[in-house]
Amino acid sequence: MELSLVGLQNAGKTSLVNAIATGGYSEDMIPTVGFNMRKVTKGNVTIKLWDLGGQRRFRSMWERYCRGVSAILYVVDAADRDSIPISRSELHDLLKKPSLVGIPLLVLGNKIDKSEALSQQALVDQLELNSVTDREVCCYMISCKESVNIDAVINWLIKHSKSAK
Amino acid sequence: MAQPLVKKDDDRDEEADYSPFLGIEKGAVLQEARVFHDPQLDARRCSQVITKLLYLLNQGETLTKIEATEVFFAVTKLFQSKDIGLRRMVYLMIKELSPSADEVIIVTSSLMKDMNSRTDLFRANAIRVLCRITDGTLLAQIERYLKQAIVDKNPVVASAALVSGIHLLQTNPEIVRRWSNEVQEAVQSRAALVQFHALALLHQIRQNDRLAVNKLVASLTKGTVRSPLAQCLLIRYISQVIKESGDNSQAGERPFYDYLEGCLRHKAEVVIFEAARTITELSNVTTRELTPAITVLQLFLSSSKPVLRFAALRTLNKVAMTHPMAVTNCNIDMESLISDQNRSIATLAITTLLKTGNESSVDRLMKQITNFMSDIADEFKIVVVEAIRSLCLKFPLKYRSLMNFLSNILREEGGFEYKKAIVDSIVILIRDIPDAKESGLLHLCEFIEDCEFTYLSTQILHFLGNEGPKTSDPSKYIRYIYNRVILENATVRASAVSTLAKFGALVDSLKPRIFVLLRRCVFDNDDEVRDRATLYLNTLGDGSVAETDEDVKEFLFGSLDIPLTNMEASLKNYDPTEEPFDINSVPKEVKSQSVAEKKAPGKKPAASSTPAAAPTSAADAYERLLSSIPEFASFGKLFKSSTPVELTEAETEYSVNVVKHIYDSHVVFQYNCTNTIPEQLLENVTVIVDASDAEEFSEVGTKPLRSLPYDTPGQTFVAFEKPEGVPAVGKFSNVLRFTVKEVDPSTGESEDDGVEDEYQLEDFEVVAADYILKVGVSNFKNAWESLGPDGERIDEYGLGPRESLAEAVNTVINLLGMQPCEGTEVVPSNSRSHTCLLSGIYIGNVKVLVRLSFGIDGAKEVAMKLAVRSEDENVSEAIHEIVASGQRRQNDQLRMIFLEHTRISRELEARKNELDDPEKQLMERGASTENNRLKLKYEKKKHDRAVLNKKKAKKASRLAERYKREKEDLRRKIIQLKVKLDDKPLLEMELIYLRGQTEIVKFTGNYVDVDKLYALLRELHEKEVELYDLEALNHALIVKNAKAMMKYKKLRRN
Repeated sequence: MELSLVGLQNAGKTSLVNAIATGGYSEDMIPTVGFNMRKVTKGNVTIKLWDLGGQRRFRSMWERYCRGVSAILYVVDAADRDSIPISRSELHDLLKKPSLVGIPLLVLGNKIDKSEALSQQALVDQLELNSVTDREVCCYMISCKESVNIDAVINWLIKHSKSAK
Repeated sequence: MAQPLVKKDDDRDEEADYSPFLGIEKGAVLQEARVFHDPQLDARRCSQVITKLLYLLNQGETLTKIEATEVFFAVTKLFQSKDIGLRRMVYLMIKELSPSADEVIIVTSSLMKDMNSRTDLFRANAIRVLCRITDGTLLAQIERYLKQAIVDKNPVVASAALVSGIHLLQTNPEIVRRWSNEVQEAVQSRAALVQFHALALLHQIRQNDRLAVNKLVASLTKGTVRSPLAQCLLIRYISQVIKESGDNSQAGERPFYDYLEGCLRHKAEVVIFEAARTITELSNVTTRELTPAITVLQLFLSSSKPVLRFAALRTLNKVAMTHPMAVTNCNIDMESLISDQNRSIATLAITTLLKTGNESSVDRLMKQITNFMSDIADEFKIVVVEAIRSLCLKFPLKYRSLMNFLSNILREEGGFEYKKAIVDSIVILIRDIPDAKESGLLHLCEFIEDCEFTYLSTQILHFLGNEGPKTSDPSKYIRYIYNRVILENATVRASAVSTLAKFGALVDSLKPRIFVLLRRCVFDNDDEVRDRATLYLNTLGDGSVAETDEDVKEFLFGSLDIPLTNMEASLKNYDPTEEPFDINSVPKEVKSQSVAEKKAPGKKPAASSTPAAAPTSAADAYERLLSSIPEFASFGKLFKSSTPVELTEAETEYSVNVVKHIYDSHVVFQYNCTNTIPEQLLENVTVIVDASDAEEFSEVGTKPLRSLPYDTPGQTFVAFEKPEGVPAVGKFSNVLRFTVKEVDPSTGESEDDGVEDEYQLEDFEVVAADYILKVGVSNFKNAWESLGPDGERIDEYGLGPRESLAEAVNTVINLLGMQPCEGTEVVPSNSRSHTCLLSGIYIGNVKVLVRLSFGIDGAKEVAMKLAVRSEDENVSEAIHEIVASGQRRQNDQLRMIFLEHTRISRELEARKNELDDPEKQLMERGASTENNRLKLKYEKKKHDRAVLNKKKAKKASRLAERYKREKEDLRRKIIQLKVKLDDKPLLEMELIYLRGQTEIVKFTGNYVDVDKLYALLRELHEKEVELYDLEALNHALIVKNAKAMMKYKKLRRN
């Protein structure tokens, strides 16, 4: 199956890829300039991951790499409350694209190891996820640093890869 | 990319010449490109689609912006495949599409990953693509990886990084320069290609620093460069270094020559050839230096590889132009190449042989060429014709066979360029070889009987008109010319009429008959032909056998002494009103393009955008500007405006240059000032001119410049009166005076009160050349003869030792400020003599022609014969006076230097006597001689004993020999020192120069730069010490030598 990983810069997308692929974590990451392509095999499923850069100049290009994927993973830094509104508008702009209609969306609130992180309910409210009705939407709170809920993410993915086929 | 292509090549064998891509269409291929989006990628299929896209792009097909973007993003998705072949195609495609910067950045991360991949191929190609798409900020991020890549073990990766460096140097030089250490390491690489690229990059990094290049080349010649390509590169750099340093190391061994000669024995042919070619291209190459290079080239001539034969022959061909004798050894080899299958080689062989051949071999060669001419292309034939032309000028006695050859080929089929080359050659031969005139003219006449080129016909008719009347029997040409009037088109008819008229005007006996013919032309159906015929009939007299009036001849056939471009410009500007067009108003100045170009990129970049308009209007613009100033309007017609002379150094606060405008009895200096300080506004700008060194001039008025804001040029003028028509010369010193007001650069507002200030400008001179206009003549010989020997003055001058003949010629041309004619300002290198033709107009509108004959001898002494003709012999005298005074001034300078020199050497002498240092040294030497004597005594005793032993004679002679040797050594040392002492004048000159500088520094009191002064003094002192030491050492050695001599004599006596 093929997945696209998007979200604002410094949300933890590349860290998530590492967490899914190897379970490792590194503090110092460099910003992704453009995209990274990773293939991960979990069980009997091979997942192609398009890990896209989150800086403003790349956001217009997200859509091109989300076309035709099995699911879109939207990563949010739950501890960075100031950026949530931008994250919301970028997410809704993306979902409005006609080419992406019906593609399941998995929203991941990252960095819950930090004390100031939002709760799941608060995140769902602030991102206005309830207004998304044209597709399956799911939201998990995770921490790549402490490997919290990564398994749940993988399970969700495997489940969707089966339903996709 | 190689893989699919190789496969295609295999296919081709089966399907003959059929391209697999024939007939593919953009639309279809773009459809196919959808496979890039397939969830299960077919790498092979994708590669093929990319190949097709690349093929289309290379065929000139273009993608629209949307298409390109679509394809680009689709291609980026292929990064998911690990297939090496496909990845390679992806790299190529990204490079080929090179989409806009904001899109292409998407692949950066992937490329950076590939750049550190374990697959060498990924690393190399990713580097190339990344460097292609990167910008400065990103480059700084990846610099680390690039540096690593330069020293990568894999040569492909290292080369990729180095080549990228070469490209990046254009855009981000400061970053690439930091890689010097890595590049230096790469130069030592074992891989040939890496070494080659590293050397190229290293040289490019340093290319602006001549010293560093020198060092680089010097260190690499010690033998670490193994790659043949790198060695070729090195040889090229060496030749560059030699060229740049060539002028100042004339006498000694040529640097690097040994290395070049060594390269002639290299394994790789390409290196041998490069070295040989470089040697042949050295300036002033001697025969001894040339011989080894010629020998290897000769070997190449018989090589089985056509490219080697061609290369060697081409080089020899060039050598033959300057050193024909050196190439004669190869004549036999070249003769066999005339029948070479490759026509380029054969043609070169022929032309080279023509250059090296001697008089006796000409006939044989001509025979061979005749056989060969029919089966080569026109452009080769032109080369042969040109070679024959120069051969004929070399061996005038052979003109008959060569002229025959030319007339034969003139009759054969051929294109315009070819025929033109032949006609030009015949015309030149006729002009230069009087014996060839009659037969040559007849050949041309025959040619125009059946000539399809109007241009050539008119050219020949014009030439016939000039030369025909001067032959023994002019009447025989008339038939050919009149046939043109009957048979040809209007253009040719018109020029035939003119030619007929020339015959009529110059040959009185033919006049009545010519008139009959001209009268017939009056009924021609073409306007121009009728007009010409009517004009000539009315001006040439009444058709009787009578001498034509001189004025009429001059009017009809005299040369126009105005440059045609100026005439054209003036006519275009002419406004058809009541006033008739005045030919005297046409400017006569020849505007050399170089002057205009030099001015164009000057202060204001805006000026360079309109360079085409600038050259024609410069003089007009000056004249308009000056006549608009009421004070100067009364000065009459502007005679000449000089080119601007800079009075300030570049990059100073105020930049000022001066243009000298010369009138009959006035001179106006136009000071063009530019203020380069944004914080200042200058007001009331004037130039205070001190003309105390210019006695004949008296100031009559100035026109100050009201205000001079930042970066806006302005002019201020100073006018002088001088004796009318006299070329008064003098030196002017200038001070810029103005009021400074502070300006706030942000608002542009200036303060109310300013400060008076002055700024010293450099001096300039009004020289004789300012009174001569550069005016060319089209035919110098005719112009020279028409002026006649009455106003001629001839004298000879010794110009003293000069660097080269060319330098001497240029000096004289610049001194006179006249226009060189017929390209004679160019001196062929190595020639011992040269004739230069100059023309100009002297103040008072007197035409002057100058013929300069130069000769140079072995000691570089140049002698010059100056022949001047003009309408006024006083003017001729004046020209001589210019040269003589120029020389006098130089002599005066020399004498001054000499006096100073003797004064200083006397001073030095005095100081030397005071020094006891040498004495001490001498004492020491004395002591050592004492030692020697003791040793000698001992040896003598031994020697005496030996006498007793009957070996006396033998030993004595051996001893004597040893002393003789020692003495010899000493003498050699002394000679060496003497040579060094000969450098003394040089050192002394330097001293003088340094002293001069100190003086200057002292005088310009305001600007005393104490540090500089001390540095100078220190340098001065060091030089003096150096000089004393040298003399002391010399003295000591002389003494030692004398003592040794004495001992030797004593010994001999014993």
